[in-house]
Amino acid sequence: MTTLRPFTCDDLFKYNNVNFDPLTETYGLSFYTQYLAKWPEYFQLAESPSGHIMGYIMGKVEGHMDNWHGHVTALTVSPDYRRLGLAGLLMNFLEDISEKKRAYFVDLFVRKSNKVAINMYTNLGYIIYRTILEYYSGDQDEDAYDMRKALSRDVYKKSVIPYTQPMTMRELRHQMRHEAKCE
Amino acid sequence: MAHQQQAMDTALFERRLRPVYDNLEVGNNRKALQESEKLLRNTPNLLCARALKGLSLLRLGRYEESHSCLQSVAEEKPVDDSTLQVLSFCYREMEQLDKIVELYQHAVKLNPGNEELLAHLFVSHVRVEDYKAQQAVALQLYKAQPKNAYYFWSVISVVFQGIRGPESCIPEKRNLYLALAQRMVDKHIKEGKLETEQEAFLYLHILKLQNKYQDAWEFLTGELCAKLYPGAPVSMKFELLKKLGNWLELNKLLQELLDADRDRWDYYKEYLQSCFELLKQQPAEQQEPAYSLKACHDFLLQIIKSSTRKTRGPYLARLELHQRMRAHQLPAEELVGDFDELVIEYFHLFGDKSCCTHDIALFLPSISMEQRQSLASKLLAESGISSSSLPQNKEHMQKHICALQISRMCGAHIELSTDHMIAFYTALKLHYEHGHSTFGKELLSTEMGPSDPYALLAANVMYDVSKRESKSDYLFEALCLLQYVLRNSTSNFHVKLLSLKIYHMFGCMVGAQEMYDYLDIKQIQLDSMGYVHCNLLPLSGRFSGVRNCYDTTLKFFTNSYKERLEYISLTYRFCTFSKMEEFMNFKERLTNSLMYVACSVEAQLCDIVCFYGSIQQNLSAYVAMSIEPADDRISWNELSDNRDLQAIIRWDPLHVDDTEAERKESFEQEIEVLQIRSLLLRLFASFIDLYHAPQGAKVAMSNDKTRTPTPGDDIATVELLRTSWTGLFQRLRLMNYKPLSQNFLVNLLPTRLHLLLKLPYESFFDDLAQLVLDLYSGASQLALQCKKVSENVVSVMELCVQTITESNEWNGMDGLWKRREHQQKVAASLEILSLYAFLLSVLNDKLQCSAKTKAKKKTSGDNKTQEPISEKERSQMLQELMRQLKHKLEACDAAIRIWKPPTLPRELSSFMADMSLKPEVEATLIGDVSATFKESHELMITELRNLLKDKIRMVGK
Repeated sequence: MTTLRPFTCDDLFKYNNVNFDPLTETYGLSFYTQYLAKWPEYFQLAESPSGHIMGYIMGKVEGHMDNWHGHVTALTVSPDYRRLGLAGLLMNFLEDISEKKRAYFVDLFVRKSNKVAINMYTNLGYIIYRTILEYYSGDQDEDAYDMRKALSRDVYKKSVIPYTQPMTMRELRHQMRHEAKCE
Repeated sequence: MAHQQQAMDTALFERRLRPVYDNLEVGNNRKALQESEKLLRNTPNLLCARALKGLSLLRLGRYEESHSCLQSVAEEKPVDDSTLQVLSFCYREMEQLDKIVELYQHAVKLNPGNEELLAHLFVSHVRVEDYKAQQAVALQLYKAQPKNAYYFWSVISVVFQGIRGPESCIPEKRNLYLALAQRMVDKHIKEGKLETEQEAFLYLHILKLQNKYQDAWEFLTGELCAKLYPGAPVSMKFELLKKLGNWLELNKLLQELLDADRDRWDYYKEYLQSCFELLKQQPAEQQEPAYSLKACHDFLLQIIKSSTRKTRGPYLARLELHQRMRAHQLPAEELVGDFDELVIEYFHLFGDKSCCTHDIALFLPSISMEQRQSLASKLLAESGISSSSLPQNKEHMQKHICALQISRMCGAHIELSTDHMIAFYTALKLHYEHGHSTFGKELLSTEMGPSDPYALLAANVMYDVSKRESKSDYLFEALCLLQYVLRNSTSNFHVKLLSLKIYHMFGCMVGAQEMYDYLDIKQIQLDSMGYVHCNLLPLSGRFSGVRNCYDTTLKFFTNSYKERLEYISLTYRFCTFSKMEEFMNFKERLTNSLMYVACSVEAQLCDIVCFYGSIQQNLSAYVAMSIEPADDRISWNELSDNRDLQAIIRWDPLHVDDTEAERKESFEQEIEVLQIRSLLLRLFASFIDLYHAPQGAKVAMSNDKTRTPTPGDDIATVELLRTSWTGLFQRLRLMNYKPLSQNFLVNLLPTRLHLLLKLPYESFFDDLAQLVLDLYSGASQLALQCKKVSENVVSVMELCVQTITESNEWNGMDGLWKRREHQQKVAASLEILSLYAFLLSVLNDKLQCSAKTKAKKKTSGDNKTQEPISEKERSQMLQELMRQLKHKLEACDAAIRIWKPPTLPRELSSFMADMSLKPEVEATLIGDVSATFKESHELMITELRNLLKDKIRMVGK
């Protein structure tokens, strides 16, 4: 039972119940404000009937030509509101907005070890598009899966033909730079 | 000529400037200065190099030089982008935002129609929120380059003049501006030039601001909006239909939406409202009602019946319908059924979800205390777990947990006898252990244990017992239990928060810091969660040891303070009209955060208390703080409460727990505490400034070019602040604030207000003010005043010594119950004496200096009475005060030396006996907690003794 509404600056003061979760990163203000200013409709929050923040999704839309796509930057659900299908609801919302923005697909990165999340995304129709080597840096670097789901504009599902070879960070950066230049 | 040259050699100069930029970037400011000076030797006219020199000087803290350097560059009215960028960066750093405006105004005048310069000028107006000027520049921009963005920059600037600008309070003006804004957009629409969804949003917003809801509705449902703004939130439709009173349409729309999306609370809420409004609208005389709530109920039932997957939505909506009908004195039971049964059904279906407690709690306030308690018993019975049975699976256990949490909310626990409560605690502890060993193994390190809520509840219950018995043993036991849970469930932040609270209650700073670090609080959490730790540190018993925490917090604030205006320009850059006001309000909230202001004041006080260097070092550190006693820089009426009080989970009885009242009360008191602390700081600074008039730095930094203050001003400042000081205490005593309620574990700890009122702060600094003034003028009553102050010193010392004696005595009964209070009193005594020590050292330095140089006599102009006391005599009296203080500080030190660590409850070894803990686990657990207390005490003693040693040295010379 959820209220979906746009995430606002004031919510930054109230999201601790969600952000104390060890898998949720608390970013610097400029990171949030950049998303809020640039892609306000891609930052949505789920609120419980009692007014608690249940979770939120943060994303963006970018890319050139048939790479125009929605991207999930962060998705998090408070421990108290798990197993209610909330993540699915928020993902749905983002896909819906991306459809309206005529995007070809939605993608996201996830830790290779995060079985729960990978499973959930698979159930929502995402496939493992490619592996990015050592995407997450930390005490121990970790690979990421780049997962994707095609949207209706991608009639021939060209965006979800998976890579067979893993990709290094260097290759990924190179590709991103190339795309940025095209824009 | 210089311009020509610059144009030719741009590339060359850029290359030469690079090293300066590079050094600045890595913070090597000294090197940056050298590089810029080197460059200027060859090309003295290179404006950008001069600007960079100014920036380097600014970074090095050489404000006066920087100031004149930047000023001279600005006077040449630069037009090249790099010089302008550097200058505006400097002005932003110095918060001289109006200078940036001037800068670009000049540049634009010399280069009319230059798009880039105009855009900069626009943003410079945004920074100072000058909407009128914004509008003008935006139109110039649009003329220079007809982009939609510029056009809408001018539109939103007109809107802001109407709703935020200085004329927004005049209704006619407001209407005029909004009408103008609408005409501007109308024209654009007619010309077919509306392009983006944010532009469409802005148009809707303008219409709504003028209450033109019908027009807004037509636009929203029209073709253009559908094309530009397909993602328009459906809530906009709700809002407009409600404003238009079109409840029937709203009702239909929501039925459609709910059919597709059956778990949306926002939809149900609107739906129910529309139903009740339809009911209200019916003409009374009509026989057959056109609308009845039966339709609503049927709709909900139909959703329940037709759903294959059970969602909470329609069930909660039914409870809400029940609640609203009762509120309207309508026959809820008749239509919807028995309330208890509905709740029980809900519990059956969703009791295994951890959110079930929050859900049911929503409806408890609407029923009587008796009904709550009977409902709670029913739920407990429904959970199927009695004193002799255990949960069969995880879901079963969660239901039991939910029932227990609800029964606490209904007030069932606080009515138990102490024995019952302890037995209940034991049961909870056993349930925890059973749940942990049966369902909680093989958890991911990021997961919380499924039975953790038992332990959380247990800790709350033990607090109730502790409170009732005024004994710490029970709560200490709960702390050990929580620490045990934390070993099993390392990511459970609720456990960390509760442990943090208990450590603070017991004055155990090391334990508190450990929990705080474990929570990994950062960025904006430092503001919203600062109340659990940072705000409790002042007068906790540590001084230099807590400075780090202040620093981290302040660093966040100063960084975001610098960035705050750039966020707003970002919304203009992306034309995100829907977020502009929100960003502006956010900026205000952050800037005026009580946490920010309080933390800066405490950090400054802490620094002065901790001074340990030579008198010159201390004074220059003091000057660098740039406290301006005469100037109250706090905007008291704007202070904002950014605390996230909901972050700490609680199930306290709803009829006694009132978080909002607690928020209000505690916020008021915290502001009063800040009043005292900031006035203490300013009053104290005025003492110092009287003898050590600040020059240079402060004056250069401040924007207004006022004259240098004369000694007469300084005397007046001391007198004025002193009057405010005593006035403040008088007012606070009259206000008669009640200490915050400590009914439950999760309640906020008492503010320092009552402590500050009880301890001799008021009289000590009031008398000190007189002493400082008398000493300055050499007034005849100086000797008397010296006596008064030294008596005060004695009583502060005695307070310290007696508190420690008392604390040692308490050790025989209960080492922890009064621990925090004792530490606070000792810390406060030492704070007072440390401030006094620094003051004496400054006075002494001044008097000795002036005695040596035989400085010209201060002609205060009153020779009607007798001659002032000679400087030599004054110096002697001062020496005597220092000798006396040294003595008393030594007495404090002697007491602190024999301050015993808190004794902990003795029967620790038995307390976990009922749990299936391995003996070695138990031993290390209790050992760890005890060691934390011991370590905390020892660290405090070491630190306080070091502090005293420094002060003794300070006055001993």
